[in-house]
Amino acid sequence: MFEYLIFFTFAAIAVIFSAIVVIHRNPVVSALALVVSFFSLAVMYVLLDAPFMAALQVIVYAGAIMVLFLFVIMLLNLAHTEEPITRPIQQFLGITAAASFAITIIYYLCKAAVLHTGGPAEFVSDARAIGVSMFEAYIFPFEAVSILLLAAIVGALILSQRTSAITEAKDGGAR
Amino acid sequence: MSFDTPDILLNLIKIGIVLGLILNVTPIMVWVERRGSALIQDRPGPNRIGPLGLIQAMADAAKFILKEDLVPAQAHKVLYNLAPMFGLIPAVTTCAAIPFARGFTIPDAFTYNGVIGALLVAGAVANFLFGVIALRVTAHFGAKPGATRFNQWIGKIVGVALIATAPVLFGLFAWFRSVGSVAMPLGLGGRYFEPIIADVSIGILLIFALSSLGVYGLATAGWASANKFSMIGAVRASAQMISYELALTLSAVGVLMSAGTLQLTEVVYRQSGTFVLFDMIPLPAWNVFPMFVGFIVFWVASFAETNRLPFDFAEAEAEIVAGYHTEYSSMKFALFFMAEYMAMGTISALMATLFLGGWDVPYWNEPATFVGFLASFGAFLAKTTFFLMVFVWVRWTVPRLKYDLLMKLGWKVFLPLALLNMVIVAILIPLGWI
Amino acid sequence: MIPTSWFLILGAILFSLGVLGVLTRRNGITIFMSIELMVNAVNLTFIAYARELGSLHGLMWVFFIMAVAAAEAAVGLAIFIALYRHRETIDVDEANLMHW
Repeated sequence: MFEYLIFFTFAAIAVIFSAIVVIHRNPVVSALALVVSFFSLAVMYVLLDAPFMAALQVIVYAGAIMVLFLFVIMLLNLAHTEEPITRPIQQFLGITAAASFAITIIYYLCKAAVLHTGGPAEFVSDARAIGVSMFEAYIFPFEAVSILLLAAIVGALILSQRTSAITEAKDGGAR
Repeated sequence: MSFDTPDILLNLIKIGIVLGLILNVTPIMVWVERRGSALIQDRPGPNRIGPLGLIQAMADAAKFILKEDLVPAQAHKVLYNLAPMFGLIPAVTTCAAIPFARGFTIPDAFTYNGVIGALLVAGAVANFLFGVIALRVTAHFGAKPGATRFNQWIGKIVGVALIATAPVLFGLFAWFRSVGSVAMPLGLGGRYFEPIIADVSIGILLIFALSSLGVYGLATAGWASANKFSMIGAVRASAQMISYELALTLSAVGVLMSAGTLQLTEVVYRQSGTFVLFDMIPLPAWNVFPMFVGFIVFWVASFAETNRLPFDFAEAEAEIVAGYHTEYSSMKFALFFMAEYMAMGTISALMATLFLGGWDVPYWNEPATFVGFLASFGAFLAKTTFFLMVFVWVRWTVPRLKYDLLMKLGWKVFLPLALLNMVIVAILIPLGWI
Repeated sequence: MIPTSWFLILGAILFSLGVLGVLTRRNGITIFMSIELMVNAVNLTFIAYARELGSLHGLMWVFFIMAVAAAEAAVGLAIFIALYRHRETIDVDEANLMHW
């Protein structure tokens, strides 16, 4: 009973704040609403017996990625730039597409309805089990992701440099 | 999940203890900070309200509540009002996952013994004497010019209250002695009291997750104020906290590697006991000895995480007025103030737990009784207080860095050092040294 | 125990909201946030299935998705900063230099 109460509260919070993310015209408000939405998703992970993933969700998404978003919005001072109204045709098509997608997928989820069993009795997802799984079965993807992150760091540095290495080389060639 | 009455009662007691501690950090630390800074700068400091200025913090709180609450015209009203709460909530909730004492089994009955009787009698006599002293002191200083009526009233109230408690304590002693033993009320007898609110399996991750949300208070406040200085403070705060969170988290990884779990109760149990260095010197098995590098990194990064002075760029008053809370007044400003001190308290407790053995009393194997509980609680408070004192001491001693130096220090010095600490621990564990 | 399909429906709703954001908004950063929302909806679905099937593989996927999302956020925001430096706007309709 208690679990259902938590589920519906946080599901409602997640949906409402996600809608704010999409609809609100101020990017700072959008970013903060997204943080709330991510936080309620972390609560969902706890309900799904995956507290480790919930903690990771808050640390990675709410604690790092969204701070980065907020930082960039503040740095570029985007909150005061007016976003032009979207063309009506784009709005109509977008809403139609999203709504039809949602209706279809929810219809088939309800129709199929094979997933009401609630799963097996025990689902161990503590840090030890995840660590063992990651460093045995998933060691190769793990290494690949570490290389990806390194590449992302280098890429972000080069992209956000005030004078990038490419333009500098070009300028040097021109002179 | 099912709770019965004793369970709920025990949890309420724990929450009461922790909330009482964390909410009292702010007034006590305000007093310590102001008197401490006065001591360091060789001036008297606040000494008018109450003896030694002790209730200055209450006067400050009253002033904050009574002040006008200004909202800038250009501010984003909703976020401006929400920002102080964003700052406060992570600071209050984080301490739920920190174990604050040795657990003990609640006995089925209290039995009278000489020690308890002696303590009760001594308490009665001491309270009576303190009450008399308070009244005498009040009378003495009240006769001098410059004494405020308010101070006299405080002195009188304290004195009378202390004297009034003396017969109560003595009566308790007499009653207890005649009864002999009292059964534990409310079915609490026989329960195990684990002094931590949320003993979750992801303890330390929970703490890092919640404390990483603290930056939103600062960032939102700075942005919603619609003030250039606030904005600069917010941008600085978000960049600084992301950078130092990395060093902070990585330096704690060594502790988790040696404990083999994320649960903080387990981390502390692993640190109780001793290990013998070079077959000669017995040392407490605290993590600070094998992981000294990590400890230093964590300590310095905690200054950046709580925005304390060598690294207080979010509010650097010499550069950007008051940073993110420039536009805040009245109780909203007080909430930021409280959040800062609470974050300090939490991170001090966390440092004590991770590196100084938490509630472990060195060279003593705490029994799982009430005495062990009290002693270990005292040890925990002493360690936490030590770190809080160092926060104050450093603030009034070390000047502020430059912002680019802060970033360089975080990324080029502390991050590699934290990784080095991990490597050292990874070498020491197979050698059997930890 | 809450039925798994409820989590799946929640994930579907969030995903559709993300789709809506990507299709109707023109502010680059908002579009980016909508993508993050979609990624999170997928994460929720993965974890719901992981519990349903009692296997850790779903959690592993979420872990890697989080790592990739972090990399994506770093590079994506760097691209927006570069775009803003060159064009003074992050309206995605304005970034049409390679548009026919």
